[in-house]
Amino acid sequence: MTTGRSPEPVLPAVDDAPTPPAGLPVPTPAPEPPAPSPGGALADALVALREATAVIRFELDIPGAQGARESGAELVKQLDDYVLPRLRRLDAPLLTVVGGSTGAGKSTVVNSLVREQVTPSGVLRPTTRSPVLVCHPDDLRWFSDTRVLPELTRTSGVGTDHHTLQLVTSASLDAGLAFVDAPDIDSVVAANRRLATQLLAAADLWLFVTTAARYADAVPWDVLQTAQERGTALAMLLDRVPPGAEDDIAAHLGEMLTAHGLAEAPLFVISETTLHDGLLPDAVVGPLRDWFSDLARDSAHRADVVRRTLDGALDSLRPRTAGLAAQARAQIDAAARLRADAHEAYVGASAEVDEGMRDGSLLRGEVLARWQEFVGTGELLRTLQDRVGRLRDRLTAAITGRPPPGSELTAALESGVALLVDAAAERAAERAATSWRTSAAGTALLRSTDARLDRSSPNVRDAIERTVRDWQGAVLDLVRREGASRRTSARIAAYGVNATGLIVMIAVFASTAFIPTGAEIGVAGGTTVLSQKVLEALFGDQAVRRLADEARADLRQRVDALLADEEARFTALLAAHATDLRDAEALERAAAAVEGAR
Amino acid sequence: MTIRLPGRRSPESTTDAAETVASRLRALDRVVELGEGRLDDALLASARELSQRAGERLRLSGTHTVVALAGATGSGKSSLFNALAGAHVSQPGVRRPTTGVAHAVVWDADGAGPLLDWLEIPRRHALEPQDDLRGLVLLDLPDHDSTEMAHRLEVDRLIALVDVLVWVLDPQKYADAAIHDRYLRPLARHGDVMVVVLNQVDRLASADVPDAVSDVRRLLAADGLPDVPVLPVSATAGTGLDRLRDVLTGAVAAHRAALRRIAADLDNVSADLADVVGGPARDDVDDKAQRALVAALGAAAGIPAVGAAVQRAAVHRAVAITGFPFTRWLRRLRPDPLRRLHLDRARTTAITAGAGADDADLVPTSQRTSLPATGAVERSRVELALRRLGDDAAVGLPDPWPDALRDAARSRAGDLADSLDRAVAATDLGLSRKPLWWRAFGLLQMLLAATAIAGALWLAGLYALTVLRLPEPEPPQIGIVPLPTVLLIGGLLAGVVLALLARALAVLGARRRRARAEARLRESVADVAENLVLSPVRAELAAYSALREAVAALHR
Repeated sequence: MTTGRSPEPVLPAVDDAPTPPAGLPVPTPAPEPPAPSPGGALADALVALREATAVIRFELDIPGAQGARESGAELVKQLDDYVLPRLRRLDAPLLTVVGGSTGAGKSTVVNSLVREQVTPSGVLRPTTRSPVLVCHPDDLRWFSDTRVLPELTRTSGVGTDHHTLQLVTSASLDAGLAFVDAPDIDSVVAANRRLATQLLAAADLWLFVTTAARYADAVPWDVLQTAQERGTALAMLLDRVPPGAEDDIAAHLGEMLTAHGLAEAPLFVISETTLHDGLLPDAVVGPLRDWFSDLARDSAHRADVVRRTLDGALDSLRPRTAGLAAQARAQIDAAARLRADAHEAYVGASAEVDEGMRDGSLLRGEVLARWQEFVGTGELLRTLQDRVGRLRDRLTAAITGRPPPGSELTAALESGVALLVDAAAERAAERAATSWRTSAAGTALLRSTDARLDRSSPNVRDAIERTVRDWQGAVLDLVRREGASRRTSARIAAYGVNATGLIVMIAVFASTAFIPTGAEIGVAGGTTVLSQKVLEALFGDQAVRRLADEARADLRQRVDALLADEEARFTALLAAHATDLRDAEALERAAAAVEGAR
Repeated sequence: MTIRLPGRRSPESTTDAAETVASRLRALDRVVELGEGRLDDALLASARELSQRAGERLRLSGTHTVVALAGATGSGKSSLFNALAGAHVSQPGVRRPTTGVAHAVVWDADGAGPLLDWLEIPRRHALEPQDDLRGLVLLDLPDHDSTEMAHRLEVDRLIALVDVLVWVLDPQKYADAAIHDRYLRPLARHGDVMVVVLNQVDRLASADVPDAVSDVRRLLAADGLPDVPVLPVSATAGTGLDRLRDVLTGAVAAHRAALRRIAADLDNVSADLADVVGGPARDDVDDKAQRALVAALGAAAGIPAVGAAVQRAAVHRAVAITGFPFTRWLRRLRPDPLRRLHLDRARTTAITAGAGADDADLVPTSQRTSLPATGAVERSRVELALRRLGDDAAVGLPDPWPDALRDAARSRAGDLADSLDRAVAATDLGLSRKPLWWRAFGLLQMLLAATAIAGALWLAGLYALTVLRLPEPEPPQIGIVPLPTVLLIGGLLAGVVLALLARALAVLGARRRRARAEARLRESVADVAENLVLSPVRAELAAYSALREAVAALHR
């Protein structure tokens, strides 16, 4: 381990040593493309982990998702702000972050340590909004670039917002030590709390300030718990103790620290006292300053503190990334469940449509009535028999306005199929939405969109009717192609395309259970014996059967495509929020690589 | 200067205020009643909880006002409590957190017992009643921000119950998220029953006090509490206590803090409820959707099939009566189309029961038609019609209602098939009445048949005489044709012509009868739609409107 004491460390040519703040990139002569990155393989692995963590999303509302989002963001920030820079330059000055509750006197303590007003203190809460970094003038170069806390803009003036870091130098401070006066961890200003958490995660050492009125507050102990878990070096400062109560409260706080596994942390006590020019009297702050001076002089001890916190942070990566990876897997599983729920609903719809087509029930009611009309009035035979008949029908249609033969049957078939598909699609949408609503993640997803997914898409009926009409057109094309080919039977060749097409369409819905054979039609339609014979022959015809099979497969395919479009509304919504499996795997690989590199 | 609790300085008297709160509570009860099974459980639970709590509080002592001192650990609640009580009641300490259970001091303990039992405060101290604070019940709550979770739960419980809240802040902690985010902001509607005290001002330089107080005001305004009085106080030094005491005196004297507290709670609940009601519901179910429903149900009930059967049956029966007598027995061999559907039997049952045609109730419930089972298409159509009807009824309504209305439309969908079948079976299809012309034509056919038979017999007699070589009388002649031949041929010919004419008339009449029968069937189906679909939907719409009114009444 190198010594970090010297302000001009003699180091092997480490090249991304601090560059001037606003300077242009220093032209590097002949850069070897895969530049050996400072920090070695571990740093590379950590960069990969940072990237993997930054891209992964935990958007589904499942238990632990919120925690994982926060933990992921925090991990990325800590790697950027602290772990990577510290790993690359173990010799950089020790950064002490002074954190704690609002009104605990953090700023006063920092000012008193450097013996001048470097950071504003006052009675209005929260006082500090923009963090202030104090260091020895020789150490300034370590902090003036974006090596640590790259997100914060450096300024030498007074910072006003949560995105600036005010840099102050003080010769009264020992070199090798730097202090950050952090915002509070518990005030109403949420941005303060976030920034404080970020700063504390970037610290080599915490100086945690609490007061006699505060030391039992819940929020600071939650923060201290994090320090304990991450093995961060910690010093406690009990401020503003009413005179006389020092021993009692210090003892109680000591008990609490021990109970939280923080017994090692040195505890300093400062009584409530009058300030001189806003500074604590030297006598009061003396022990604390001495402790830091010792730390500044003893480079081994300082390196020890740095190493300890860094190791703690690196150790904490494993459970944190494991938690993220577990959550990613949980997200993927939840998304898969939701996808399966939606898919199941629409597969069910497809099966219902299929059932409705096969059991012949489609041929009851309206379709049957039109069919009987069609057959019973002899339209069918006329259509089948002669070209003259067809010509005459067309003429009649043109003159009287009566629809051409079979068109009513076609329309009835179309609306029958459309109704069947429409109802099935509606049921599927409702089923899918209902099963999504049983989980918080699904409910949140459904709420996240303005579209009502529990109903079919608004224009579904038009799409269905268009699909059925397209299919009817395709059936006619099929028959036409069949007629042109050699395989066709003489019978089909003899009959016209329209009539055969109709027969095929009827056969599609009739083939298994219910065949409108002569007997059925005879009773209901009063068909002539002649047409009965024709029908029996037609529906028994091998070619018609084959065409019907093809046409049914075609219709199923079209309906399935349409239902898939409906289902896509669910899957698209899911895809927009689901965790990518590749991201999860990348995270797991990166975490394993980090472990391997240590 | 007297500082009073803020709040609406309405001229209304306490009785008026009580009346207003009572009517709002009645509205709340109505909301709870109507919302049962319709609204979100959490929402309903808070409404129900308020209804119960308000009822209990108002039944308990109205002459006592419960004031709670709440605040963070170390803010000096206990010191302030002791200072107000003028006695060393609560034990302040330096070790944090101190107070673990709430204490109460009661000025004038008479009748306060049940109230304190209800608050579940076991540690009570009675003080001599002082005129200005008579009826005050002062509570010292535990802290809300320490590591002791139990303290926080106790605070949450009591904050929901007390009449007036005094938030004790101190210069160190006044900007803590723990108090602003968790308590003050959610209680933004309770400004009427809240006072904020900035305690321990003795620890500030006196020049800083006004700044600190105005900073507290700024934070409170950000919380949505711009009008809450902020009093700088030092419990240990005794500064500012008189003003706090004045505020409490005002609260106690008016005897209205409990009502105001409940009114603020009602404001909260009604704001939460604002999302579940929207604009007015439509008066009635959409006409078009109703017609579509009746059409779909009609198709499902087999009206076209029954209509066709009626038409055929009408012809069948007409021909059976008015047809050519020598061939019409063949008709009888063919089944009556209506009887095949078991529709005719229903009629006869209804008639023999002596009931009017509309008295469907008298038809035995077991009466079934033999109409073919409904197909998938008809079922789909009905299903879609029900969905559309529900959706149309819910146009413009906020969220639980579209689903509720659709469910209402479908609530009795399972009974539809059965009811439709019964309705069809019970409908008078109008075939029992035989038109007069049938009889006339039938009679005429008989006459013509008789004529033909007479002619035939005559001719047969003549033939017999010829065979027996007996002298045969010359039959009278019409033109060159003998009369018996005229009778026979004429009778037969006229019979055939009459039969054809009757058939043509029957076909015409059958169409009319079909139309009439279908109209009656549609009426029956519309009745079914009314009972099984429209009534539940209307009931749900009515529930919405009632809930909307109740929420509006709650809001006042």
